[in-house]
Amino acid sequence: MNRYHMVRTPKAGFYQLIGIPGIIILAVLFLVPLAVVLSEAFVSDQGTITFSRIIGLTTDPYIFKVLAFTLYQAAVSTVISIVIAIPGAYMLSSYNFTGKRLVSAICMIPFVLPSILVVLGFVIFYGNNGMINVFLMKIFRLEEPPLKILYSFKAIILAHAFYNFPLAIGIIASYWERLGTSLGHAAATLGAKRFTIFRTITLARLVPAIISAASLIFLFCFSSFAIMLVLGGGPQFTTMEVEIYRRARVMLDTGGAAALSLISIAVAIILVAIYSWTQRVLARQEEVSISDRSSSRHKRPIRSIWVKLANLGYILLMIVFVLGPLASIIVRSFQASETRTGAYTFTLKWYKQLFDSLFSSSSIDTVAVTAIFNSLAIAAIVTILAVVTSTFTAVSIGNKNHIGQLRSELLAMSPMTVSSVIIGLGYYLIAIRLSNSGVLKMAAIVLAHVVIASPLVLRTVLPQYRGIPNSYRNASMTLGATVSRTFRRIELPLIRSAMATGAAFAFAISLGELNATLVLSDSHIVTLPVVLYRLIGSYNFPAACALGSILIVLCTMVFFLTRIATRSRIRHV
Amino acid sequence: MKHRLMYLILTVLVVSVFPISSKGTLEQPSGTTLTVYAYDSFVSEWGPGPSIIEEFSKQTGYDVQLISVGNASELLRRIVLERGNPKADVVVGLPHSVMLEMINTNLFESYDAPALAKVPDFLKIDHSNTFIPFNYGNFSFVYDSLKVSRPPESLDDLLDPRWKGKIILMDPRTSSVGMGLLEWTVAVYQDEYLAWWKAMKPNILTIADSWSSGYGLFTQHEGPVVISYTTSPVYHIMFEQTDRYRATVFKEGNQTVIEGMGILHSSDMKDASRAFVDYMLTDAQQTIAVANVMYPANSETALPEAFEFIPEVTKSLLLPLEILAKNRDEWLTKWVEVMSR
Repeated sequence: MNRYHMVRTPKAGFYQLIGIPGIIILAVLFLVPLAVVLSEAFVSDQGTITFSRIIGLTTDPYIFKVLAFTLYQAAVSTVISIVIAIPGAYMLSSYNFTGKRLVSAICMIPFVLPSILVVLGFVIFYGNNGMINVFLMKIFRLEEPPLKILYSFKAIILAHAFYNFPLAIGIIASYWERLGTSLGHAAATLGAKRFTIFRTITLARLVPAIISAASLIFLFCFSSFAIMLVLGGGPQFTTMEVEIYRRARVMLDTGGAAALSLISIAVAIILVAIYSWTQRVLARQEEVSISDRSSSRHKRPIRSIWVKLANLGYILLMIVFVLGPLASIIVRSFQASETRTGAYTFTLKWYKQLFDSLFSSSSIDTVAVTAIFNSLAIAAIVTILAVVTSTFTAVSIGNKNHIGQLRSELLAMSPMTVSSVIIGLGYYLIAIRLSNSGVLKMAAIVLAHVVIASPLVLRTVLPQYRGIPNSYRNASMTLGATVSRTFRRIELPLIRSAMATGAAFAFAISLGELNATLVLSDSHIVTLPVVLYRLIGSYNFPAACALGSILIVLCTMVFFLTRIATRSRIRHV
Repeated sequence: MKHRLMYLILTVLVVSVFPISSKGTLEQPSGTTLTVYAYDSFVSEWGPGPSIIEEFSKQTGYDVQLISVGNASELLRRIVLERGNPKADVVVGLPHSVMLEMINTNLFESYDAPALAKVPDFLKIDHSNTFIPFNYGNFSFVYDSLKVSRPPESLDDLLDPRWKGKIILMDPRTSSVGMGLLEWTVAVYQDEYLAWWKAMKPNILTIADSWSSGYGLFTQHEGPVVISYTTSPVYHIMFEQTDRYRATVFKEGNQTVIEGMGILHSSDMKDASRAFVDYMLTDAQQTIAVANVMYPANSETALPEAFEFIPEVTKSLLLPLEILAKNRDEWLTKWVEVMSR
């Protein structure tokens, strides 16, 4: 049963080497700068070593309250996101239906959007003067908006679910697809009801994927910031991230920010450790039941009318929930209020503004065009690098002994446990050491994106890699294949669907990244989110909506095409 | 066939790498290139930066490399971090709230720019002229005239129940505009400022993380009143041809924010640096005012008509910097305590 002892000696070298690129990138772009920033927590104003900051903050009742709320909202958001995601993951993994690829492509969009655009989309759609309320007020002739959705705790949860349930769908569905159906069939033969099968067999076997998704969502919500303040309505909903930001950016107290961040990191690391441990134990129990061929063979068109209705209902809900805010942004990008009464009319002027030079004789590309090209190019390189290094890391981790696994996994996940404000301070240390070469800055941005995207790819690939039955490997090596050949011909094909999902996540993360790009490029390399923030910062919200719409359409296209491409590849295997 | 599609996608993505190298390459600074650090919205294509450096280069022959270092609060941090190996000659966009810290770094030198003679006295808060003001603004509650017939006239007026759930504010922990309002209430009510905030609570729609998202909510008509600048309507008049959004001035006065620039001691291009500061205070003033939607420091600057629409503040409020530096954290902590209850 225990594969680790059996296979260690001949493979150890290969599996150790394969993890190295990931470690190097992580160390240079993340661990070293982070260590420098965090060490500030122990340096007093007089330059001596002190522990008073940490002690003071850990015993501060206000900080305790903030930490408790941070954990609470992240837990609620995670549970809600997973619950909404499971039916979707079931549909995507079990049925073939028209528009399936488009649905899964659209699912990825929220992930790409900068939070300020999500906030705007939410306000335009769910807001007191938003599309839903205006619609209801017209129909029922009301004076006041009937639905007060925003500026409350539930608005925070709604927005977090919007952001994160696609992640859960992606991870759970790509794992679910690979689950063999024989256990379920056996249970059915023995007389088990469908729901019993789902509860006792399917759900139980999905737990590793669910835990994987849950740990990521939890960490994302843990460091939530803009959504928390704007949609929550004010300081009663304060997360650790807000307090860290306040110290780092407003009070210019790096030591305090670092100390607070250390507390966050400690809590997050403990949680990740629990997750990793549970997931690993469960994955080992699962080993035998994953079979590769099951995926395409058992996927069926929808026959039953009830299943059809349930599917339709779910899709309709998703359309309102996900597409509502996205569509609102697109609708706004075509609207202008030309008159004083504020009535909206159709216009293309925001797009004309963005692409001015294409219509005039100017020879210089507009910044929007440059940003689109840069963003796509960076995202493409980041995707390739992140998928390759994270797959290697997953393979390396999957073949370590227990303690080694836990240690490396915590290390690999660490970028997600650190506040982005603190990571930002770390980028500063890198930025001031970069020479004025565009290529160097470019490389730094790409690698920083790889660091941010890698935990996600790893979280997608690792559960599936752990699910590969050890007997496959042993059979291959008994038949004389080398370790690397076994990796290429046996293991790699088995984790390909997870790699594709990971790739989509990496692409999305890179497209939406702002913090690292801004600091590391000294603003000379513009990407879509950079331009978007600049437009909003200079009063031009409609043009920002237009650029946001381009981002949305672009992503849908890229994800849709990747789905088509990877689908057909998997069938080839 | 299906493999080919995958490769096609990959090729398209990889080929699109090339624009980066053509756009991203930066000119190596030589002996004639002045390096100017500024906040991002100054450097952005919608900010005043690009056209200013182009004109400046034409007039003086100096090349300028304009570098964005994020938001205004990060400027000083960057300079301090680079202390050992300074790259900037001039820094543009320091808020007056960090002026004391700026002077205390001893990294900047004073420059008695001739154009300072045309800058009104209330802006010249640093008598050593190390912190050189180039534009300023007054915080103001901006309202939507289609929704509000009787605009607020004072901070007290905002406590009226008719504003219930209608006012959009920003968090002083994360936004400089939010901090501006907190200072404003301290300037007006002194020790009693928390009472205003307590009474204000029911009237607040939301407290946004940044000016960008808060003002975004306002222009999406989510709330009819927002904290911004008196000059904000200028943007809507000039670029959207509407006077729908209007600024208020309060009888007790409006809080002022001043943005300054400074020349670094370490600069080996002092003449060029001084020429740039002179240019910023003269020919560039109109561009700055329009792009930043702020008031120019130089009172002789010709301004577009839209600025005439802006009401003049009755009193410009500025807390003494020593008091600000000493008490800011405490005000903030107490504010959080009251507002998070």
